[in-house]
Amino acid sequence: MKDDGRGETPRTLTVTLDGQPVAAAPGETVLTVARRAGVDIPTLCHDDRLAPTGACRMCLVESSDSRRMVPACRHPVSDGLAVQTDTPDVQRHRRALLALYLADQPGAPTPGSDLERLARRYGVEPGVPAVEAPRAGRPDDANRFIAFRADRCILCARCTRYCDAVAGVAAITLANRGAHTTIATAGDAGLLDTSCELCGGCVDTCPAGALVERSAEAAIDAGAPLEVVRSTCNYCGVGCQIDLHVDRVANAVVRVTSPPPGTTTNDGNLCVKGRFAFGFIDHPDRLTAPLVRGADGALHATDWDTALGRAAELLTGVSARYGPDALGFVSSSRCTNEENYLVQKLARAGFGTNNVHQCAAT
Amino acid sequence: MPDGAPPRTYHHRGDEAGRRRDADQARVLPLFDAHGGLRPGAVRAIQAETGVPAATVHGVGSFYHLIARPDVEARVCEGLSCRMRGADRVLAGLRAEGRAVEGCACLGQCDRAPAVLWAGAEAGHGFEIGTGAEPGSVAAPHLTPSSPDLAIDLAAPDDPTWPALEAARHLGPAGVRVELRAARLRGRGGAGFPAHLKWDAVAAAPPGPRVVVCNADEGEPGTFKDREVLVRRPHRLLEGLAIAAHAVGADRIVIYLRGEFEGPRRALEAAVAQARGAGHLDGLSVEIALGHGAYICGEETALLEALEGRRGMPRHKPPFPTEAGLFGRPTLINNVESLACVPAIVQRGGAWFAGLGRGEASGTKLFSVSGDVARPGVYELPLGVTFGEVLEAAGGVAGGRALGAFSPGGASSGLLPPDAVDVVMDFGPLAERGSMLGSAGVVVLDETRDLLDAALTQARFFRAESCGQCAPCRIGTQVLVRLLERARDGEATAADRDTLERVAWEMDAGSICGLGMAAPLPALHLVRYFPDALRTRGPAEGG
Amino acid sequence: MTTFGAGAMTNSIGEIRAADFLMVIGSNTTEAHPVIAMEMKRAALRGATLVVCDPRRIWLADFADHHLQLAPGTDVWLLNAMARVIIDEGLWDADFVARHTEGFAAVVEAVRDCTPERAEQMTGVPAELIRTVARAYATTEKAGIYYTLGITEHTHGTDNVYALSNLVLLTGHLGKPSAGLNPLRGQNNVQGANDTGASPVFLPGYQRADDAAARARVGAAWGVPVPETPGLNLNQMMKAVAAGGPVRGLFVMGEDILVSEPDVARLEAGVAQLEALVVQDIFLTETAKYADVVLPAACFAEKEGTFTNSERRVQRVRRAVNAPGEARPDWAILAALFERVSGRPAAPGGPAAIYDEMAGLTDKFAGISHARIDAEGGLQWPCPTPDHPGTRYLHADGPARGKALLVGVRPKRNHEMPDDAWPLLLTTGRTLYHYNAGTQTRRVAGVTDKQDGCFVEVCPADAAVLGVGDGDVVRVSTRRGAIEARARVSSRVARGRVWMPFHFAEARANLLTVDAGDAVTGTGAYKVCACRVVRAGG
Repeated sequence: MKDDGRGETPRTLTVTLDGQPVAAAPGETVLTVARRAGVDIPTLCHDDRLAPTGACRMCLVESSDSRRMVPACRHPVSDGLAVQTDTPDVQRHRRALLALYLADQPGAPTPGSDLERLARRYGVEPGVPAVEAPRAGRPDDANRFIAFRADRCILCARCTRYCDAVAGVAAITLANRGAHTTIATAGDAGLLDTSCELCGGCVDTCPAGALVERSAEAAIDAGAPLEVVRSTCNYCGVGCQIDLHVDRVANAVVRVTSPPPGTTTNDGNLCVKGRFAFGFIDHPDRLTAPLVRGADGALHATDWDTALGRAAELLTGVSARYGPDALGFVSSSRCTNEENYLVQKLARAGFGTNNVHQCAAT
Repeated sequence: MPDGAPPRTYHHRGDEAGRRRDADQARVLPLFDAHGGLRPGAVRAIQAETGVPAATVHGVGSFYHLIARPDVEARVCEGLSCRMRGADRVLAGLRAEGRAVEGCACLGQCDRAPAVLWAGAEAGHGFEIGTGAEPGSVAAPHLTPSSPDLAIDLAAPDDPTWPALEAARHLGPAGVRVELRAARLRGRGGAGFPAHLKWDAVAAAPPGPRVVVCNADEGEPGTFKDREVLVRRPHRLLEGLAIAAHAVGADRIVIYLRGEFEGPRRALEAAVAQARGAGHLDGLSVEIALGHGAYICGEETALLEALEGRRGMPRHKPPFPTEAGLFGRPTLINNVESLACVPAIVQRGGAWFAGLGRGEASGTKLFSVSGDVARPGVYELPLGVTFGEVLEAAGGVAGGRALGAFSPGGASSGLLPPDAVDVVMDFGPLAERGSMLGSAGVVVLDETRDLLDAALTQARFFRAESCGQCAPCRIGTQVLVRLLERARDGEATAADRDTLERVAWEMDAGSICGLGMAAPLPALHLVRYFPDALRTRGPAEGG
Repeated sequence: MTTFGAGAMTNSIGEIRAADFLMVIGSNTTEAHPVIAMEMKRAALRGATLVVCDPRRIWLADFADHHLQLAPGTDVWLLNAMARVIIDEGLWDADFVARHTEGFAAVVEAVRDCTPERAEQMTGVPAELIRTVARAYATTEKAGIYYTLGITEHTHGTDNVYALSNLVLLTGHLGKPSAGLNPLRGQNNVQGANDTGASPVFLPGYQRADDAAARARVGAAWGVPVPETPGLNLNQMMKAVAAGGPVRGLFVMGEDILVSEPDVARLEAGVAQLEALVVQDIFLTETAKYADVVLPAACFAEKEGTFTNSERRVQRVRRAVNAPGEARPDWAILAALFERVSGRPAAPGGPAAIYDEMAGLTDKFAGISHARIDAEGGLQWPCPTPDHPGTRYLHADGPARGKALLVGVRPKRNHEMPDDAWPLLLTTGRTLYHYNAGTQTRRVAGVTDKQDGCFVEVCPADAAVLGVGDGDVVRVSTRRGAIEARARVSSRVARGRVWMPFHFAEARANLLTVDAGDAVTGTGAYKVCACRVVRAGG
């Protein structure tokens, strides 16, 4: 994404990453600098939109200013700092940590989740016995959009931090403690009975497949390949970029996600309508054939040639009888630029009137 | 629909609105007491009173056991010493009576094992302690007899005249810190960090309000020495706090007191009132904040989170509390015992204090001794004595049996074998043994004790008290319990020992705070020092 | 918006979180523009001063430093009083005003009577609070104003916008990041529909239809002259339908005017009398039920094209699935119809070629094409050449008109005020969970679980007087019609005012609203009308 106005600080420090000198700005974290330099450090609880917590421990690296490994996501750089991201201890730590996470999952990790991807990439220390995750879910949650599978949760708190700091809704929280820690609402109410605005940002940010869209739950767990088409949301004027996940066989959109944070204006965010209100697309009420009013006064399905001919004849008739300014053209702020252009061209060049206006002029 | 409360995600935004929100958040835990814990309606009411969102309030309350389970009548200590004295039977007995009862982490009453905490009339607090199933039946611990060569001297009468504060004012803040440096006082809470470094750091912080926090959340299993300081020498502690505030330029003192410590609370409140009356606390604000049942809040940054009304999850360091502590202010946090050493250091000089120790070690140290000893109690001995001397002070192994194992410094120190009887009880020598002095909560096990069960007890303690924030600790503590249970049940596999070592390594390397780093020690020590304890169980031969 | 030369957000959405002062007026941002509200909340949580001006205590007000709960339709009083404080206290940017504006004297004159104390009487906002906010706005560098239909949907909506732009120009909060004047567009392509000339007064690219040179330029490209007769705006068009003339034939694309237009009962009678009604939509809307011909269209997920968002960013719409049955993309239907009536092809190359044709008529969009967006992502106009990066914020080199016009506006009375017979003031608006006429969102079960059915917010004091409890069915009526809805007793509305959403076809709030429109834009006055509320059946 081009400069979006969210700002940047000059880089006056030098840091060594795996032996390579890299420029950095005061206040930056090791992770920020590493990502810019193309040095890959795995993360689970990190989301660029959220203040880093360092809780998942995935991004631990060796740093010249600390005896213990440090979380890259929140460790500040200093001039001359030397960071090692791929030592035997770092590798060993990644394998052992991932083994612990997997021991705490009910089965295989959710396909396509960050957790699954990292486990495949870095490998897992063998032999760690499965433990019984006593995390409580929300059995009475009737909402149809967001599924919370507590047993897959890794408690990285991305969802709760997103809900607090980005959505500004604070509907969910870390609750209980230790092995019983879970993601809860006040009084364990269903989401519909909380301050939740159903934006689904929690689903978007979940790295473990614990929060998923109910509409795509089966497809996600099966690891079914979905085709992704980048488009623009058709609701309000923010213009959020969206990725439509398409089941080609069913010719259906089954899931809508945001492009990653930092890549488009919406910065990874969507609202309830953009993310979840796509069911109208294949709703049975959709018009599937042109309709023309018959002599009986009712609308009847017909073919395009007939319908277009009738429309042209009616509009031309009014123009012929009363002049073109007896016609009005209501264009649509819901339709594309190209279509709005064509409506005004139809009015002006086709019929010769300036009586054209979109439905929401402001 | 959102009903009224914006989330409070940011810590300590410097402006007025930010300070107001910090103050609102800090009221959440005290308000839970007022509302009788996490009961229906309490969350909404607290949201209405503070503006903190309902979910956040729920998340905070559910973290603390005394709040989360308000209807428990009795909590039976499942610490090692209590377990060795039949806590299981007490728990089963109370259950059989149909009482609302549960096991809990060490209550700091190891000398009175098996200890039971009874709910009082006051919700959340007002507890009563008993030994066995009888409330109120407790004995006083054995103490070292009073002597001028003790820094704290528990057996001496408490002195409400605060002579050391006058001396400290005479020395001036910098002069006090010079004496503290000369005293080479290392923090008595467990980490052994040189106290003067913290004091100097807070004193050197940029101008602005500073805070002195007393960590009185004694909870390390096997430890009950702060309890005795609070009950017997509250003036000495308060005087130490006032001197600390003077030395670092703070005008606010907060004492974070373990919520289960009803007796110490009464003693402390009385001493505060008396000191106020005497004018000792003029210009100082002193608050006593009560804990709500979370061992982790003895970790200094988790303690700060609790004081701020949040879930007691440790913070990352840096920044250290000395830079950004309570509500972002430079904060000096010291343990009860450390602070109680301060008046004597100021009055008699840092060099005198340093000379009390043996060899390299400096000062005297309170040892809580319990388990299979003849005279369980709190003994103030020179730092640097051997374990054998500590055992002797407590009358040796009870019943004339042989030593089986000992835990030198609470659950976090693991278990050492009898041949370590001559180990020097100081920070360095114990660290060399892969253990730690910690809080010096010594638990002695005789030759008949089941060491696998002892290790399992400690492992379960850490599982229950892990805050849950980081996976190495949250999941690692579960895996360790699982591995030890497999050994107990004869289901261990040959690879389990390697797995245990790998998980322990990860807990040490990957955990955020010391809890996760210490948690694997009991199991690791079993592997290292007591291979038979594992081998005699089931077919794990050759593992 | 004529004061800065172009009607669009001067600044970008991404700049919001870096703002130090945000004034949100007439915008229920959390519900109508949730993702922009997230940016505002982040600014507020960071420490920016957030001022919400709204007759209702909207959700965003919970995050605000100040909520100015002004009486509906009194915006000019409030804004003029702020201007007066800024002028009186010497907080205006004399250098900016001298170099970039004209009309200062007119503003001084117009705000003379608008003292904060008088404004307090009219708006209900304490004078001292008006002063505080005016000072903070004027003295903060990164200070932006954000508004939506609560400003424009009034009979004096244009005056409201002038009063806002006066504040921006007086303080010079223009041509820099995180500042400016930012209308948030209510629908996905309001901006683009304006940009591309779906307007009686503008040809594509804001070239005025009454400008002969512009007509000549466009006419030459089209090969036919552009008509000279001024066109009717939407409000005038609807009145011309409701009155039975002079408009006798209507073509409606993608809009359910019988739900969304004000005073809809009269309009419905007029629509029934039309000699020709052609409706192009994805569902059989209330309007389509009256049509002579209904043309089934593809929805956004089934076609190619572009939308332009509130920050002037042209972004792609792409086909993900096939349209159902015989449905076709709107552009294809329009092209076919154009060919029928004109005998000339309209869009042989499809959407990309249509965009190129439109962009070729303008300077603002000349550098934008589907191919460029596909390669680079969305582009913000003005973007005059193919190598131009687009424009993040406008007027970096001073206002586009050369000198921007400060317009002295004086407060006007609302067209309809409560009286003894119609004692409550009704405002209509949007909720988070539904969208416009609800044709899409009311067909999504997960949304209707959360909110299904019309409601009217009544404050506890009024509810007590009316004998209405939370959840009771009430009858809301105005001089034009009546509907039933459930009462929601809520302190978010003030005494004497009620609020309801307009998304529900079975309880059309627009049966109640007035068809008065703004004199300049024709925008309907949805925000103010007098009503009464009684218990249904009671």
